Amino acid sequence: MIQLESITRSFALGKEQIRVLNDISLTIAEGEFVAIMGPSGSGKSTLMNIIGCLDKPSSGEYYLGGENVSGYSENELARVRNQSIGFVFQQFHLLPRLTALKNVELPMIYAGVSKAERQERAEEALTKMGLRDRMDHLPNALSGGQKQRVAIARAIVNKPKLILADEPTGALDTKTSISIMEQFQELNSEGVTIVVVTHEPEVAEYANRTIMVRDGRLQSASAADGR
Amino acid sequence: MSFFENLMMALSSLKAHKMRSILTMLGIIIGVGAVIIVVAIGQGGEAMLKTQITGSGNTMEMFYQPSDEEMRANPNIFLEAPFKQEDIRALEQIPEVKRVVASSTKMSAAKFKEKSVDISSTGINKAYLQINELNVAKGRSFSAADFLGGSRVGLISNKLQEELFKGKNAVGKIILVANQPIEIIGVLEKPTGLLAFGSMEIYLPFQTWKIIYGSSDYTQVTLQAASAEQLQTAGKKAANLLNKMHNTEKSYQVINMEEIAQGIGQVTRIMTLIIGSIAGISLFVGGIGVMNIMLVSVTERTREIGIRMALGATRGQVLTQFLIESMTLTLIGGMIGILLGWGVSEVVSLFAGWPSLISWEVVVGGVLFSMVIGVVFGILPANKAAKLDPIESLRYE
Ligand SMILES: Nc1ncnc2c1ncn2[C@@H]1O[C@H](COP(=O)(O)OP(=O)(O)OP(=O)(O)O)[C@@H](O)[C@H]1O
Ligand SMILES: [Mg+2]
Repeated sequence: MIQLESITRSFALGKEQIRVLNDISLTIAEGEFVAIMGPSGSGKSTLMNIIGCLDKPSSGEYYLGGENVSGYSENELARVRNQSIGFVFQQFHLLPRLTALKNVELPMIYAGVSKAERQERAEEALTKMGLRDRMDHLPNALSGGQKQRVAIARAIVNKPKLILADEPTGALDTKTSISIMEQFQELNSEGVTIVVVTHEPEVAEYANRTIMVRDGRLQSASAADGR
Repeated sequence: MSFFENLMMALSSLKAHKMRSILTMLGIIIGVGAVIIVVAIGQGGEAMLKTQITGSGNTMEMFYQPSDEEMRANPNIFLEAPFKQEDIRALEQIPEVKRVVASSTKMSAAKFKEKSVDISSTGINKAYLQINELNVAKGRSFSAADFLGGSRVGLISNKLQEELFKGKNAVGKIILVANQPIEIIGVLEKPTGLLAFGSMEIYLPFQTWKIIYGSSDYTQVTLQAASAEQLQTAGKKAANLLNKMHNTEKSYQVINMEEIAQGIGQVTRIMTLIIGSIAGISLFVGGIGVMNIMLVSVTERTREIGIRMALGATRGQVLTQFLIESMTLTLIGGMIGILLGWGVSEVVSLFAGWPSLISWEVVVGGVLFSMVIGVVFGILPANKAAKLDPIESLRYE
């Protein structure tokens, strides 16, 4: 599903180049549930952004679903994000002026889905997240856990094969975190590949495999590392 | 993503900042409103000027302007009516001429019981009624028989009824005009319009007038052509004909409409230029205001833009979203401006007494123009939005 080959990512800081990711090679198979852990500032989010096609590596090759997306144009990357990837963020990132339903409809708007179908699919996704009676609420009127469920509904509504979650439980209490992780587990059991960045070992326990990042390099991985 | 969805999105985001949106529109509202008012009043005024000079219903007045020689030969020439009965008959034979309206006016005294006033007394032919709207408020108008038989009947102006009858109904009363008894069969409507003062007048069938004043000549002749295109030809032919009949070079004249149209055009052009540049400046300033607010909006919504991009919006789609938003802003402003301009020009034309000329071309032009302003001044902010980096935008607080 995901294949990274010698990925580096550097940022220019004044005259210097800081290398945030250094020679990262990594394979994640379809249907895996992977946790990425590591100290703050180690480059986890940077790595997630590259996997999520929001950012391009400075060097190295990235294959997503067999396609070399390193050479894709911006519009092609936008299509990949829209069709093949679902994002879940720590701060939920819902649009505050749109209802839960409209928020979930957003990815389908950019996919060119008709209005009627959009509504039907958004309702379906929200129902699956247990938010059937919260569809017309604005994000303001939802609890943290409910917001994150709306975000998950939005991430799955275009039926992507891959879901990327950067600290999805970072803003939630333990009990809510558990239910969110159970949600991910259920999605994973339906065949969706899931990559979660987290600081919490309890969260990482839901994954089949944990990848450690330290100073921009992959450190050690658990026994199931494919490479 | 369809235009309609973009429009709905734009409307809802403008609605989220109602006050700000309306204040931003103000420049556009005033600019577009000013343009509409100028065009409407300009066209209304021009139309009124043209009808005053050339007459409504494709009519054109004939003039008699004697040459120096003729004046030397006959010093009293101005006291004589220039159009003879046979002139009228000859004019009626010109194919382009549909009607010849002829009338003669003299000042004389009108008496009712002991009261006497000075009035203008006009003898008219039948065609006169068809061209000039002598709207009868009370009583009846002239019949064909009145013209043929020279009945001793007359129509008086409202002002004369006020003076001579203290406003009481004058229909059926008999007054003395130049010491001849005339029965009043109708009273004309009060003239409308702010600048119209009523004058004391009586209208008589020409046959009657002829007997009273002992003159069969006309002081005024107006031609009516079958169509506006034929009017100029009809006028030229008529002038040539009369000059030939009277053996004059060019004493009988009609107004050269082309010259006048040119003159009016020049005045209008200068006025349009002046007001146009004022409107242009206010639209430009309004446009800058729109650009400013859109830039603020883009900054405020950086996170939203990042989210949309993460969910699969292309840079083109973000650009379109903000362009349509600024266009919607100016479009609404433009529509309010059109309504405002419409209202003001209706009021002005009501007071000035000319038709308000809001054409659909002006409305459509105003709508399109305000949309263009939105697009032009929206390009910079929309481009800024489209160029944002998705990762940084998502991190934006
Ligand atoms: N656009 C950028 N320009 C310069 N430096 C950057 C940029 N983005 C990230 N960095 C640097 O790269 C390093 C890794 O950042 P990253 O956000 O990937 O860390 P992280 O592992 O996600 O940390 P955390 O656990 O706190 O979220 C940090 O030192 C950060 O300052
Ligand atoms: Mg991070």
